Amino acid sequence: MNSHSSTPSTGPKPHLNPYLAGVLLGLVLLASFLTLGVGLGASAGIARAGAYAQSCVMPQHVAGSAYFGAWGNDPLRYYLVFMFVGTLLGGLVSAIAGRRVQPQLERGPTASRGLRITLALVGGVLAGFASRLASGCTSGQGLTGGAMLVTGSLLFLGAMFVSGYAMAWFVRRQWQ
Amino acid sequence: MIATFFGQDALSSNAAFVLSLLLGFGFGFALEQAGFGSSRRLAGIFYFRDMTVLRVMFTAMVTAMLGLQLALVLGVVSADQVYFLPTIYGAQIVGGLLFGVGFVLSSWCPGTAAVGLASGRLDALIFLGGAALGSILFNEMYGFVAPLASWGDSGVKFAWASLGMSGPVFALLFATVAVAAFWGSEWIEKKVAGTGPYLGSPFLKAFSVTILVAAFAVAMLPPTASTRPSEAALLQAMDAGEDHIDPDELADRLMAGDASLLVVDIRTPAEFAAFHIRTAVNVVAADLTEFLAPHKNRGIIVLYSNGMTHPAQARDALARLGFNNAYILTDGLRGFMEQILKPVSLRTAPLSARQAAKVNAWRAFFLGGATAPAPVPVGDLPRLVETGWLQQHLGRDDVRIIDVRPQPAYNGGHIPGSVRMDPEHFRGVIGGVSSMLLPAEMIARQLGLLGVTPQTMVILVPSEKVHDATLIAIALERVGHTRYAILNGGWEQWLAEKRPVDTALPLITATTYPTPAGPDNFTVDYRTVLAHSQRRTAVLIDVRPAEAFTGKKSDEARAGHVPVAVNRPFTSDVSTTNGVSRFLPVSELAAAYAKLIPSADSPVIVSCRTGHQASQAFFVLRHLLGYRNVSWYDGGWSEWSSRPELPVETPASSG
Repeated sequence: MNSHSSTPSTGPKPHLNPYLAGVLLGLVLLASFLTLGVGLGASAGIARAGAYAQSCVMPQHVAGSAYFGAWGNDPLRYYLVFMFVGTLLGGLVSAIAGRRVQPQLERGPTASRGLRITLALVGGVLAGFASRLASGCTSGQGLTGGAMLVTGSLLFLGAMFVSGYAMAWFVRRQWQ
Repeated sequence: MIATFFGQDALSSNAAFVLSLLLGFGFGFALEQAGFGSSRRLAGIFYFRDMTVLRVMFTAMVTAMLGLQLALVLGVVSADQVYFLPTIYGAQIVGGLLFGVGFVLSSWCPGTAAVGLASGRLDALIFLGGAALGSILFNEMYGFVAPLASWGDSGVKFAWASLGMSGPVFALLFATVAVAAFWGSEWIEKKVAGTGPYLGSPFLKAFSVTILVAAFAVAMLPPTASTRPSEAALLQAMDAGEDHIDPDELADRLMAGDASLLVVDIRTPAEFAAFHIRTAVNVVAADLTEFLAPHKNRGIIVLYSNGMTHPAQARDALARLGFNNAYILTDGLRGFMEQILKPVSLRTAPLSARQAAKVNAWRAFFLGGATAPAPVPVGDLPRLVETGWLQQHLGRDDVRIIDVRPQPAYNGGHIPGSVRMDPEHFRGVIGGVSSMLLPAEMIARQLGLLGVTPQTMVILVPSEKVHDATLIAIALERVGHTRYAILNGGWEQWLAEKRPVDTALPLITATTYPTPAGPDNFTVDYRTVLAHSQRRTAVLIDVRPAEAFTGKKSDEARAGHVPVAVNRPFTSDVSTTNGVSRFLPVSELAAAYAKLIPSADSPVIVSCRTGHQASQAFFVLRHLLGYRNVSWYDGGWSEWSSRPELPVETPASSG
């Protein structure tokens, strides 16, 4: 991480100016509004992958369940699943171009692997659950609904940062 | 005007999938460029050491917001082409709180974790696995969390509307807050981590000014431009012939009495006086826009002259002024004469007997003129007719008598010329709820089969169950058919007075009843009822029998009633003596409802089990008593009780 200034030809390239990155992201979102007629989303793709995985193991249970069941026999035939695959590909191309592909478990210098893995997993379960409850995550509710100035989406964003800041102190060790 | 995939209901098409993949690509690329492939960097916002997340998110939101507002104001896209997220207070606030905890623990969110995985981060993979597990957990717990997921469902709600502002003005405010947040985040980052690279930089100054100027410009744009169609759209519509109406269609619709048509003759008054298409009005081109202003985008305007050049020019001028309902008559009056009014004997092409009969009917209608009887007058109130009135109006083409009794009873004898209609033919299963009133187009089709046109006076003849007639009345209301009345006392009264009865089946010529453009304005769903119940903003009248209201007797999933609803059994509005059921005198009904409803403009929602009995209360309140703000909850108790998330009140629970 700290060698990129000494070896600029092989180390990761610097990130884009965050404001310009924001404009780029905003234009992608706007393009989505004006062509698809809906905003961006990520959590639905993950949830549908989860539904697909579960239905491989217990097809009848999933088909008969109240929430996943409504997605039909082929939960992966959904535009947000394709968008999620696109997000992975776009991230990959950008990371390769920026020489930022670094296989690692990202954590603080003194934090244990076990702590980081546990928090990433628990946080993932919570975020996955919460984004189904709120019908969206940072992208589908926060960014999309926020840009539409939807009351509930702005409340979602506010609530997210309130509880995030409230919990931040308790989990600071993973970055120390 | 853009037609989006959402607007065309084509989000599940292969083209939408490819487009989603491309947009996702752009999304992932932008996220990675911002540095969101690193959980350490994302976590920075929670410790004030790296505020990149705030900058990127705020900038993206402001960019997309201004772009969307601009597109809406300029009419590039209309609001119905974009899916606006609903506001569900409980789900979004509780979901947001939970999500925030998940975010800070993992330092990932779904979109960034995808980018993190692409950047080789193992913790992103673990997060994604966890998120899939969390989704499965949600599915498994759905029985418990479903009420929370719909708690506080308020439909589409915009922050600006909640604050009483206009969209563009709120957007300007939002952009201002964003700029302040940029500067604040740079400052705080400098304090905490000694960075804040853009604080006071020429870049951030220029960027801030650009955003504010753009937001200001969007807020200042005149909203009038929004209704202007593009020249390209206009040319396209002309190419496709969408701006034409053919003579035979116009003739048939006029004969059917289609009230939505406004036929405008733009020739000189002298030409108009010599001959014009029946029902047409004469407006010279110079007065056209002023005359048509009240009809802008309401109903259908048909312009004609002798040929097509002048009407086409007038039509294009109207389209540029935002009229999307102006049409021209194909081939003008000359074409109309040739196709519609030319006698059969003069036509060169051979006509079938049916076509010949049609031409004769057209000629009789457009050239005969005075032969049609004067329409039956109807007052606003009351909507009841007496047996004597009906006997005087028997045998008229513009009166259609509908008998609601069962088929064997009808076959055994009925009012001469009456047809039989089962009120259940106007209901069906919609959205999983049984006994819902059918959509307007299906009702219109049924009315067409009964030979009803918008000019027909429909007389509903009930038997002892008056609400069978009011159910058909509410079906008529849904298609906007206001020319109807109920025979007071119904079949039994007619019979008791020994008025004429026969067993002949009338011959009916089916018509095409026009389908109204939008939904009706009186049917409400459970969300509206819930909102009024929680805020106590409407009088909720449950007209079921008292023991069903209290929950003593129940055939449904749950017993009781909607919280704060009051009970006025529908049977209280009707009295039956010697088998004849009649509405109570209006004075008695008015006194009874005055105790429940504060004023004639108070919002009232009537409901029962399936909407059947409540249709009677709707009729009484709106048409006999003149309450102006009455809605009808069609789903009723059968729907309400089957939705476990909806609250229920019983005498025990209300204290």
